[in-house]
This record gives sequence, structure tokens and C-alpha cells, in this order.
Amino acid sequence: MKRHIICIGNRFVPKDAAGTAVFDRLQEMHPLPAGIEIIDGGMAGLNLLPLLEQGGRVVFVDAVNGFSGPGEIVLLDHQEIVGSLGDSHFDHSAGLAYVLKVLPQVYDGDLPEEIILVGLEGACTPQMIERAAALSITIAEHGLKDLR
Amino acid sequence: MVKTSKGMNIPLNRAEGDLEIRVEIEDGIITEAWSSGTMFRGFEEMMRGRGALDGLVVTPRVCGICSITHLTAAVEALDAIAGITPPDNARRLRNLALMVETIQSDVRQAILMFMVDFANREAYQDHPLGEEAQYRYSPLEGRAAIEVIRESKLLLQIVAIIGGQWPHTSFMVPGGVTSIPEISKILQCRIILERFCSWYERSILGCSRERWQEIRSRNDLTAWLDENPAHRESEVGFFLRFSRLAGLHSLGIGPNRFLSYGNFPLPLETAIKSRGERLLNAGFAVGTEVSSFEERKITEDISHSWFQQGTKPLHPFSGITKPYASGQSSQLYSWIKAPRYGGEVVETGPLAEMVVAGNPLFQDIIAKDGPSVFARELARLTRPAHLLGPMAIWINELLDRREDGFYRTVKSIPDGEGAGLIQAARGALGHWVKVQDGKISHYQIITPTSWNGSPRDEQGIRGAWEEALIGTPIKDIKNPVEAGHVVRSFDPCLVCAVHCLQKAKKKGSLLLGFNR
Repeated sequence: MKRHIICIGNRFVPKDAAGTAVFDRLQEMHPLPAGIEIIDGGMAGLNLLPLLEQGGRVVFVDAVNGFSGPGEIVLLDHQEIVGSLGDSHFDHSAGLAYVLKVLPQVYDGDLPEEIILVGLEGACTPQMIERAAALSITIAEHGLKDLR
Repeated sequence: MVKTSKGMNIPLNRAEGDLEIRVEIEDGIITEAWSSGTMFRGFEEMMRGRGALDGLVVTPRVCGICSITHLTAAVEALDAIAGITPPDNARRLRNLALMVETIQSDVRQAILMFMVDFANREAYQDHPLGEEAQYRYSPLEGRAAIEVIRESKLLLQIVAIIGGQWPHTSFMVPGGVTSIPEISKILQCRIILERFCSWYERSILGCSRERWQEIRSRNDLTAWLDENPAHRESEVGFFLRFSRLAGLHSLGIGPNRFLSYGNFPLPLETAIKSRGERLLNAGFAVGTEVSSFEERKITEDISHSWFQQGTKPLHPFSGITKPYASGQSSQLYSWIKAPRYGGEVVETGPLAEMVVAGNPLFQDIIAKDGPSVFARELARLTRPAHLLGPMAIWINELLDRREDGFYRTVKSIPDGEGAGLIQAARGALGHWVKVQDGKISHYQIITPTSWNGSPRDEQGIRGAWEEALIGTPIKDIKNPVEAGHVVRSFDPCLVCAVHCLQKAKKKGSLLLGFNR
């Protein structure tokens, strides 16, 4: 089964850099368990769609806001991510929720069997980045079950 | 009695990044406008002291939408410094990738960001086509909205093939590109392009690209619309019908000055003919009067921007980016500088490209009606009709000449200066780079939105969309869809900012009000 860890965010905007910081950490953690591919998703928005039609399991890592207290890591499943979509308009900052909401209507190929978000709240300490990196690997390997 | 509204915040139905627009409204008409970029970008400062090649990796991350575009400008600046002309196949591959990014941006912007406002229920409930607009453009479910996401996604595979990596490819390097796809992959590009062309002709144009290019005047356009149902039912046809009834022809005039850097350098040997060295010529136009482009005429004025004051407008090779946000708060109001061409305010984007390139239809529209929201958006929606043909030619030339070179060795970047001037989807984009002792000593970027969304200059002349907003009627101050049409016809993009997932995300609001 394909397993992708897609880290998203803007590495030049501190409030949005959590995902890319985790990406950098994951790159250092060689070797990763077999079959896991890590991707610097940046701010690609809708252009992430091609990564979501290869089946398997997809773990997103991104900064989040308002799900729990600062310094915490939240795990969201597919439905919870889509449920966070407030404004349904597309704009230049169209986020993950928008992408997942349109996915079933636009995909070619195979939908992922499982989509999970590892969300980092607030300013990130190195410990948080470390935890999120480890967590994203565990989830990529085993899914969300038993983790919450 | 004249009713003046000052200090009012008018909610708009969604935000465009870090942009605030304040207006004064008298008797339901916008009489003053200030456009304010509210985030300091600072890429210029970040680049100084880095390795000469770092622009290739850093600047594509300036924007999540236009990463290939920034890569192209960055590499062309380095080509210029190195004094090298990339081989023909490198030209073809670079052009193809940039064209894909442009086309996908055009169709997405038109349908998902501009025409989605036609589905604004409150504003257009009495519009005879309002209900159909809902069916076509409603977010997340409109037929056209879904189609455009799917088709633009498929087109993007061409960039994945050419770039060898998705996302964040860095396949362009000084001297050319890093690799050339195998024949089977180039054939795949051709199939992807053919599929996209047939969708674009069927759904967007409603006719062949050749038929579209026969339209040479406003009258031809009217005749085309009435010619058959496929024309009327296409997205362009619907746009024409909806716009006419919504009065978009008289909305958002702007400065009537146009700037295009030109785009897509031609391979030395190619079947494509052009008057210049590029597929699209560079130029400056006052109305339809086109003159040649002179790079040295570009300056940046900071008299109304939050930068350290005291310098005259400077050419980007000498430009200084020192943020300074205190004092003179009444005069300074934006983090965007005010680029000017020969001291004049200009607009840039697809319409400017069409006018400068001498496209007969758009020259006729500008000559008779002047610029407008209608002209600007029509130019964007139909620009792909002019790019898809050359793309097919270059893909075929790649198949024929697969074994030709794609890279000329550039061992290191010498000290010197160079500029990469191209057309991004939103208009003129320039990277001005100086290299000293192998390191970047100076990097200035002027984005299209700096041109279009600039603040006033030292003469007090408004920026392009500030000017375009003047005279805009606002029927409902709580739902100022007309102001949205004007600003969005320029496709504002203020450098992607924070966009993390937010719980119970509040409705985006673009402030249209006097108080910041």
C-alpha cells in the first residue's frame, strides 16, 4: 500500500511553517520505514490533487488553528477536516478542507483509503516538531486506529 | 442631498490574502479608493548574501500558485548574468511549463474566483441569468467549477512530466533545463494537451480555437454569440450574456495604460513565427497606441508605502527595501511599492498582453469602449486559445528533435547583474538580480500585483485598481459585488500568506471602509 506524508505550509511565514518544519525533520530521519514517501506540499493547494488519486494512506501535516490549545498536536480524520470548511469559496488561499471537499468530484485513479491530518497548534517547539514527525510515521504505517 | 459614507467597513464575500481596500462612497458611487497590502514580504532582504543560484529554490515559494513563473523569471535573470542563451529544447520545455501554469491559472481564476460572483444570490437574484449562474458556478458543486478543477488538474501533469517532480520542481537551471523527458513521456504530454484542448474548445469557447481567432471586432463578437447555441451556452458565451446585463462593460476603467514584458522566448529554429524574439511582444500602450518597451523606464515609488522615505523613485537595480512603518501614518498606507513606467501608472495582465500584442478584438474593444471589467476578464478567459496552438507545435518539435541539446554548461555564475522579465498569469513579473563575489548582493522582485494594486505615487496618482474603482456604483453596501468585480478583474494575488486549517473559520472579509 502506498503511504504518503504530505507536509504543507509556507516555510517563510512562521505561523504557517509547522508542516514544512516537520518535513525537514522527516528528511533527516533516514531511513524511513519502507514504502513511506514524504512530500513538501508547500502551498500547492488544488495542485495537491494528483497526490490524492494513488490510493493508499495519506497523512497531511500542517499548522492548525482553534482545534485545541497552543503547543498541542491534534489528529483529524477525513470527515473532520472537511467539516472545518467554513467559507466554501475558492481563493488564493484555498486550503486542505476545500481540496478534500472537491476530491470525490474530480479525481481520476484511486481515492486514498484513509486521509489523516496531523495538526500542530500554535508556535512550534523542536519537541513538538519531533513528536509530530514521529506521529506522522506511526500513522502512515498503521492508520489512525487505536491512537485516539 | 449627497450622502457620503466614510469610515464604513463593508464585508465582501471573501478575502484575497493580505489586501484591504478602503473606499469613500457618495450617493452610492465610489469616489475615492486606497489599496493597501497589509503584509511585509521581505524576500529581497532574505535573498541578500545567499548563493547566486538560491533564487531558483527560494523564489518559486514566493507564491503557491505561480511557482513555475517565479522559477522562470529567476532563471532568466541568471541566464542574463551568465550571458548564455539556452538551447532550443530548453526554451520549448520552459515555455511549455510556464504556459501550463498560465492556462490553469486563467481558467481557475475566471471560473472559481471571478464568475463565482455571478452566483452571488443576493446580488443577482433579479438577474435573468442568476439562477443559471448558480448551476454553473456555485462553489464546490457548480458544473463549471468542478469541471475546471478536474481539467486543470489533468493539464498540470505536463509540468510534472517536464519538471520530473511534483510539486516544487527546480528543473530550470542557468543554461537550460536539467533533463529532457523520454519520447513516451513527450507523447503523453501531447495526449494530455489534446484532451485539454478539446475540453477548452467544447466547454469554455464553444467553438474551435481557429473560429475564435477569426473574431476581430466587437461586432464580430456579437455575431459570433448569435451564430449558434454552442457559442451561447459555452462559458465565454454565458460570460458575454451575463456581463451585458450586469453592465460590466462600463465598470472598472482604470488608467488605460498597459504594460507587457512580452513572453515565451522563441527557439531559434521553430515553426512559430512572431515579429520579435518572443511569442508575445513586449510593449507599453496608451489606449491602443503601442510603443516599444524600455526596461530602464521602470521605477519604484515609495512615497505612500511603509518604507524608509527620502529617496526618489528608483530603478529596481538600485531599489532599496527598508521597511519603516512608523510616522507619516496618514500618507503611508501599503507594504506594496508603487512601480511606474516612465513615471506613469499602468495596468498589466492578459488584457495588457492582448492590447500590446495587437490582438484585433481587444484593440477594437479598447478603442470603442475603453478598458473595463468585461474586457479584462474576457482577455483572461480566452488567452488559452492563443497559447494552446504554440504548445502543440513545441511538443511536436520536441518529438522530432528529442536528441538535440537541452543544456549549455554554466560552471558558475559570474559577478554581474541581470533581469528576468516575463509575463506571469497576472501580468508583468520581473526579478532584478546582482551577483558579487559569487553571492547575491541585490534582489528585487516586482510582481504583477505590485503594478495593478500599487498605492499612490509622489504625484498623488492612484494605482491601477484604485483608479478603476472610482465611479463604481455600489447598490448594496453590505454586499458590494461591483467593487469585487473590479478588483478581481485584475486577479489580485498578494503573495500567499497564512492559510492553515482553522476551526469554525470566520467568513473572510475584504474591508471596504475608511478606517483601517
